Parts: sequence; C-alpha cells; structure tokens
Amino acid sequence: MTTTDQKSNEGTTPRGTDDVVLEVRDLSVTFPSDDGPLPAVREVSYVLRRGEALGIVGESGSGKSVTSMAIMGLLPKNARVEGSARVLGQEVVGLRDEKISRIRGNRIAMIFQDPLTSLNPVYTVGYQIAEAVLAHHKVGKKAAMDRALDLLKLVGIPHPEQRIKQYPHELSGGMRQRVVIAIAMANEPDVIIADEPTTALDVTVQAQVLEALEAARKETGAALVLITHDLGVVAGHVDRVGVMYGGRMVEMGPVEDVFYRPRMPYALGLLGSLPRLDEDRGERLTPILGTPPSLLALPTGCAFSPRCPMARDVCHEKEPRLLATDENGERVRVPVEDTSAHTAACHFSDQLGETAPEDLFRATSVQADTVVKLDAAEERAEEALDEISDSDTGSTEESGRERETILTVKDLVKNFPIRSKGLLKRKVGEVQAVSGISLDLREKETLALVGESGCGKSTTARLILQLIKQTSGEVSYMGQPLHTLSPRQMRPLRRDLQLVFQDPFASLDPRMTVSDIIAEPMRIHGRSNSDAKGRVKELLDLVGLSSEHGSRYPHEFSGGQRQRIGIARALALNPKVLLLDEPVSALDVSIQAGVINLLEDLQEELGLSYMFVSHDLSVVKHIADRVAVMYLGKIVETGTTEELFRAPSHPYTQALISAIPLPDPVKERTRERIVVTGDVPSPADPPSGCRFRTRCPKFADELSESERTKCVEEPPELIDRGSGHRDACHYSKVMELLSASRS
Amino acid sequence: MLVYTVRRVLGTIPVLILASVLTFVLIDVSGDPLSELRMQQPPPDPSVIELQEERLYLDRSMPERYWLWVTGIGGNGDIGLLQGEFGPSTQSNSYDIGAQIAERLGVTLRLVGAAMLLALGLAILAGVVSAMRQYSKIDYTLTFIGFLALSMPVFWFGGIMQQAGVTFNDLVGTQVFATIGDGLYQAQGEDLWGRITNAFAYMTLPTIVLMLTSFASWSRYQRTSMLEVLNSDYVRLARAKGLPNRVVVRRHALRTALIPLTTVVAVGIAGVVDGTVLTEQVFQWRGLGEFFVTAVNENDSYALMAWLLLSGVVVILANLVADILYGVLDPRIRYE
Repeated sequence: MTTTDQKSNEGTTPRGTDDVVLEVRDLSVTFPSDDGPLPAVREVSYVLRRGEALGIVGESGSGKSVTSMAIMGLLPKNARVEGSARVLGQEVVGLRDEKISRIRGNRIAMIFQDPLTSLNPVYTVGYQIAEAVLAHHKVGKKAAMDRALDLLKLVGIPHPEQRIKQYPHELSGGMRQRVVIAIAMANEPDVIIADEPTTALDVTVQAQVLEALEAARKETGAALVLITHDLGVVAGHVDRVGVMYGGRMVEMGPVEDVFYRPRMPYALGLLGSLPRLDEDRGERLTPILGTPPSLLALPTGCAFSPRCPMARDVCHEKEPRLLATDENGERVRVPVEDTSAHTAACHFSDQLGETAPEDLFRATSVQADTVVKLDAAEERAEEALDEISDSDTGSTEESGRERETILTVKDLVKNFPIRSKGLLKRKVGEVQAVSGISLDLREKETLALVGESGCGKSTTARLILQLIKQTSGEVSYMGQPLHTLSPRQMRPLRRDLQLVFQDPFASLDPRMTVSDIIAEPMRIHGRSNSDAKGRVKELLDLVGLSSEHGSRYPHEFSGGQRQRIGIARALALNPKVLLLDEPVSALDVSIQAGVINLLEDLQEELGLSYMFVSHDLSVVKHIADRVAVMYLGKIVETGTTEELFRAPSHPYTQALISAIPLPDPVKERTRERIVVTGDVPSPADPPSGCRFRTRCPKFADELSESERTKCVEEPPELIDRGSGHRDACHYSKVMELLSASRS
Repeated sequence: MLVYTVRRVLGTIPVLILASVLTFVLIDVSGDPLSELRMQQPPPDPSVIELQEERLYLDRSMPERYWLWVTGIGGNGDIGLLQGEFGPSTQSNSYDIGAQIAERLGVTLRLVGAAMLLALGLAILAGVVSAMRQYSKIDYTLTFIGFLALSMPVFWFGGIMQQAGVTFNDLVGTQVFATIGDGLYQAQGEDLWGRITNAFAYMTLPTIVLMLTSFASWSRYQRTSMLEVLNSDYVRLARAKGLPNRVVVRRHALRTALIPLTTVVAVGIAGVVDGTVLTEQVFQWRGLGEFFVTAVNENDSYALMAWLLLSGVVVILANLVADILYGVLDPRIRYE
C-alpha cells in the first residue's frame, strides 16, 4: 500500500547490503529455568535479501522457532535475547513494545503453525484482517474491510463476500490458515516468517496453502523465512536453507548444495533417515542414533558429536564454527552477507565429500570395526532379536508360500448419531465415519490404511479391535466372528490383537513406572508377578531399552523412547496382530527412522502382522506390503505397495502422491502435479455417487457432461484392475508419478 | 439467536417444576411444624391441635398438599403459588408470607446486587492485573488477599468490620459507617443526596462482607482464564499484527477471558444469596436472610418453602441469563 515503489526491484539479486531486509547477527536466546539457564538459541546469524526465500529446518528443540519469535519480539518477558536483528536496517532486539509493534505486522509479519488456534474465536475473520490494516494505516473501517476482502481473494478463499462475515469456527483448517496468511499480507510486509505453516494440515490442503502463500508472496514481493521440519516442503519452496541443531545454525547454503552435497553429518543423517516416496521399499532407513541433546546439558564441543559417527576427539572438545570450504578444501570464513556460500559447522566438513547417508550412519552392527559407533541400546535390541530368531527358526521358512488370511473385515459400517442440543436429544443426523469397508490382513504382512484426517481410518482400527461397536458388518479373526462376541468372550482374543497409539506422551500413565506399564496387560491376563518381571526385561531389551529403565517414569524418556515403551507394552502378551495407529507421526524424523526399523525387525523376528494406520504416504511406502487408501469412509484404491505407488489409478491416490513434497529440490520443482481443490466434505453429508467427485480433478476438467452424470448418480464399486490392484473409480486410469531412483 | 433464547427459556420450565417438587418434599419430611405445640406441658386440648392441623392443611396427604401448595385449589384462599399465595404461617394467623417476602426482597436484592457488582468488578480487575504480572509482587499480594478472603468466616469477618467501622467513626468523630440495621427507615423523606449518603453509610460494610468470598474465588478464576488466553496463539497473532499491548489485552485477551466467568458468576449467585443469611444476621438487616432464620426458628414450613423456592428461582434465572449471555459473547455457541 505504501511501499510499492521500494519493491519494484523484485527478482534481481544484487550483492550489496542495500537489498537486505532482515539481518540477524549472533542472536542468542536464553530462558531461565529451575535447572539453570537454558540456551535455546546460540549465536545464529543470517541475512535475508528482498524477495528471497530462506528455509530453516531442524527438529523440535533445535531453536528454529525461538529465533523467529526473538526477531518478532514475541518471546515471554523472562527470555534473555542477545545479539542483533535488523529489519530494514532498524535494530529490533531490545526495542520497547510500543516501538516494535510499529514494525511487527507492518514490515515483518508472521504465520503460525496451528490455524485452528491462531484466530480469535469471537471476532469475524474480516474484522481480524481489517484490524491488521488499521493497526498501521490511518484508513476508515470501510476501507480496511475492502482491503480484507481483496486479501481473502488473493489467498484463494472461495466466496470471500460471505466468508468475510464468518467466524473462524465456520472455516476449515486450510481456510483459516489462508486467513492467517491474509493477515500477514495485509500491510505488504518486506519479510514474512512462516513457522511450520502447513504442519497441522492434511497433505492435499498443505499443497493448496503453500500455493496460496506463494501467490501472496509474488503479489507483495515479500521475502520469506520458512521454518519447518519437513525437508520436502523446504526442497520445493526456498532458495537457501539453514539447518539448526542444538540451538545453533549448523549448515547453511543454497538449497541444492545442502540437499545434494551436505557438509555436516547431521544434515546428511537427516536426509538418510527420511522414508522417501521416490525410493523403493526394502532399503533400510538409516536413523541417527541417540536423541537430540538436552539444552540444559549441552555436550562440550560440537552439540552433534555424541550422535555423530565421524566424531573424533576435537569434536568433543571444540565447538566448530560455521565456515565455508574453499577450492583447496580449506575451511574459511565468509561474510554472512555472502548468500551464495555453503557453510557448515563441522571440523571435518571437507571430508564428507560424496558420502551417502547409509555409508555413514549404518543401522546394523555388522561392521563393528568401521567408524560406526552403535548406540548401546540399539546393540542390545539386535542381540535380543538374534536370540529370538535362533530359537524360533520356523518363522522365516514359510515366506515362500501364500500367506494365510488371519483377519477379515467385511462391509464394515459405523455411523455416529448426531443429536440435537435440546433436552430430548433427538437424532438429527449421522456422521458416516466408515461406510462399508472390506479388508483382509494376511499373516506376517503389513497392511497400511492411509487417508487424510476424518477419512475413518482410526475408527476402522477401533472397530477391528471392537473398542467400539460397528453399526453393521463383520470382523473376524482366525475364523472367529469378533462382532458377535461379548466383551467377556472377547477378552482372551485381545491377547492376539494389540494396539500401539499415536501419542507417546498421552498413552502412558505418568504415575506408573515403565515396568508396571509394560506388565499391566500381563497382570490383566493373569500372569504371575515374577513371570511378568522376567518378561518385562525381555521386552525392554527387545525394543532397544535397557532393563534398568524399568524403574523409571515415562516423563524421563524422549518421544522415541516412549513409543518404544508403548510397543513393548503391546508386545507383552505375544500378540499376532498389531494395530499401529499413526505410531511415528508424533516423532522427529531422526527418531522416527529408528522406530520404523524396530517395527520392521520385530515383524521379521516375531512373525507379526501389522495394520498400519497412517496419513504419511512416505512412511507407508517404506513399511507396508499392501495399501488401502481411504476417502470419506470408503476405500478408493487398494493394492500392493509397489503397484499402488508405481501405477496409482484412482484420482485421489494420484493427488495424494503428488501432494507429498519430495525432499529433493530438482525433482520437487519439476514433477507433475495433480492438484485437488477445496476441503474434504463433511462425513455427515457426503456427496452422492462417488464421494470424491466434488474435489476430483478428473471430474472437473476431463469428463464430459454425460460421463459426470455417472459419477453423481452411481457410487463406484471397488473393481479389480488386475493382480489384486483394485480401485473405485468409473474412469480410472493408471498414471505414473514417481521415478524410482534418487538423482 | 431468538430461537436459541426461546429454547433456553423453555428449558427452564421442567427445572422449575423439579425445583418445586424437591423444595416441597425436602421441607415436608424434615419436621412437623406443630411439634412444639404437641410437646407443650400441660398438653393442649386435642381440638386445638386439630384446628391447627386443619389450618396448615396437615390433615391431608403429601401429594394432596403439594397440589394444594402449587395450585391452591381446594384451599382456604391462603395457599396456592399460582394464585400468589405461599400458604399459612405457623407464626401467627396474620403473618402473611407473601407480603413479608415482598417487603424483604428489596432489602436483600439491594445488598446482593451491590455485592455482586463490586465482587465482579474487583475480581476482573484483580484477575487481569495478576495475570498480566504473573509471579510479580502484586500477583503474590493479590493471591494472598484472595486466599485470606476465602478462608475467613463471614460471621467473624462481619464482626471485625463492625468493630473497624465503630473505631473509624470514633476516630473521625462523626458516624460515617452505620453498623446496625438496613437504614431504610432512616432514608425515608431524605432528598437524593441524603439517600446516597444513607446508602453509603449503611451498605458499605455489609457489602464488603458479603462480596468477599465471591470476589476471592472469581478473581482466582479470572486470573487463570486470563493467563490461558494471554498464552494463546490468537493473542500471539494479535501481537504479531502489531497491535499495541493495551489493545491486545482489552480486545483479544479480556474479551475472550470473560466468557467462562459468566458461568462461574451465575453459579456463584447461589453462594451470595446464602451469604445474606449470615450477613443480615450480623448487621441486623430485616431482609430475606433474617426471614429465613425466623422461619427456621418458628418451624414455619410454608415460609421455608417460599424462601427455598425463591432461591431456587434466582439460581435458575441466573443460569438462564448466563446461558443467553454466553450465546451473545461466544459466536461458537449459537451454531453448535
């Protein structure tokens, strides 16, 4: 509105300092805590040029969000901020609130992670956008509302004239995040900081919101700091990327350099621990061993050294500086303004060369004499597994022949009644959570159930376990019809069917010791105490924890370790089937890989069958034998993992696959995209005929009027298209979206 | 919004009916209004007792009496809620329960209203200040005052306040605070200014005593609610927009933090009404609290029922108002 003339040089990349919009130098943030000062951010420096996009990646606790909050002046008062951050040349660190609020939202704006909580529930979205305009411009309310309307159009909200008068709870998550983006754009800022802007959203919606962000940025010419843990999102949307670890920037450079030629073992490890859509199944993930450091007890020297396979003495003694490597392989200092430099904080960054992650972070202990230092716990897990496989040789013999079906689901339906609010609680409608699902789970296989939130995948898992009763349909396990059993009759069968939960923090009783937690299922099923004790030890070993961990409480463990405890509990009764409900989605990438590997090992050695419920197609592609894709309570496509990812035939599956960002800058920017529009319709009122038709790109763009009629009137059946690959689309057509090798 | 309001109002009808049944049954089973008469030595003539039983309708069965109490059909014209009659009193033939209540309601409402307003205003103020300056000296001071107020019994604190009032009067040499009576008689015939000073003199001390516990619990509640909102994402976003701090606090934090307080205050009205029993006793006001105490002493069951039902109605109405206010304050409620 006011500074359009300044922004005309967008697109050019002059090397001077005059186009620097954000300059951060030696920024440190310390929080006081009961256990002493907590250094959340340590000496972070970077510059951001006009119109540029910088990604900052890191796991939880790496300090990536705190850095941005410090720049915005939004940290709690007790935080100590040192160093400097300049927005358009003006220092903002230490600025008084009245002064910094003139810059905030005006020259530098921020987008937060959770769109469901970012907007005030008691004001209309129009008011909340207009408020941002009025905070910095002396215009009338009418003018501000007009501007709000323009902004809603800009971020791609349909029917903005109606939306502007609505309250946040009347909008979906994706729409709300667009509103937040509109607020950030309101005053045409020079810098936008987006802190995990799409983490809380489903993938297809994520793609839409990222597009809206791009469009809005193009319109205003703002520079972007994109903070995320998702390397795929970074690969597709930024020019440069910085990697943070333990409160420090440990690597920074142009996005291709960092992704293809990482100079810091952590960045390499992070890339290696990602399950990838563009790789075939079977390759083992290479997790980074150990856990991210506690900021209260940072190791001396390099913060990554305890987990680093390359670490030598100097790494444990001296913290490396962020330096570039010149042509001669010397580590040299470059000015922070040099935005083309590739810098890394590693004493041996020159030696990393072309190393592949699996060479450095080997996941097994076979090569005991190599540089690989295995975590003691991982080793114990290996040994425990070896013992089991020695004693139980029968488990791998029969892999050749056709696996037997052990769990069958037929025409499963679950409707939740919607009741009126009055005294009478009349039934006014139904949420059709699951609408006729049929599945088989075979012995020792992993069947993945994938779909976006609200598609009914978790409800299906709960129905299978008979934790809730189906409206109709059948569930049978080893020929026994579970849906007819009383809770008492069901009990002995529960030994065989166990569940691992999504949230490792909420699923363990904080007042019970780890031993008690793991022993509880055995106690319920009447095993003696001494018996259970021995078994707990065995189980702890099995999941890579040590037996002395048993006397501790859940809060003493990290997320990954807690999930291992949850898995140990599920294994306590020697189950045959595990239902895994998003078991790794709450974990950081480097930790997630370890848990995935553990699940794969356990399946191999114990002969388990997995029903793997997930929204993450990359993980599914890595772990599953077969996949069923769900949309609004129905299965739309199912087949072997290999087949389904190589040649998806349902438009929804195609859209899902193409919406998942690949952690590869070139592939991500050049791949073919199938974009779906809008949000998932309410399961209380699903569309007639094909439930996907309202968002289907094929329905919208390719089909003729007469062809569409069929989609509207006739619900498609799940039809076999050969070799067990089935889809529910009247006009299905195979499409190859992924090329299966890393460039 | 209208539909919502109508639905809420209709929803109170069954609650009111239930309240009347409970009130009636509870009082009816809790004692014989004529027990004192029967215990008299020498025993009164059976015909006297019979006469009293007939007058108080004790010769009928309980369901009959309930029906009579509500409708007045088949009574002597002195009973029937729907006809505006609360029933005969044990205290004397001429003691008209309805007239008594009408007379005393104004006295008590004056006290309750003032105490509620004062408690609410101060609680919001204290809660907001406490939350804004969490773990500061002023937060600790307000917390201390809050817990002190919660732990002080009304009859004791009332006595202290009376004493303090007397001491203050002695110190300044004129009677600033009145410590006994409701002052309504003294206000008669005064001009506006006279009535204001009169109200100040008579109401200040009892109001402080009555509001104290409510203020304490509401201020704690407001502090928690305000803290939660201050740490919410939308307040952070409001700051990120560049709104000045006071606008963020007033428009985004306080406005939303007040919503849960409406429920707490509505429920708290019952506590304030109960509190009048003790407060009026200490300051010797002739309000409903005193009416209640007399009714208990005199075993006056119809008077007790009237008092209980009235408190019940006040609580139900307060909740109704809170429900409707909730709908106004929180746009999410109307649609859910």
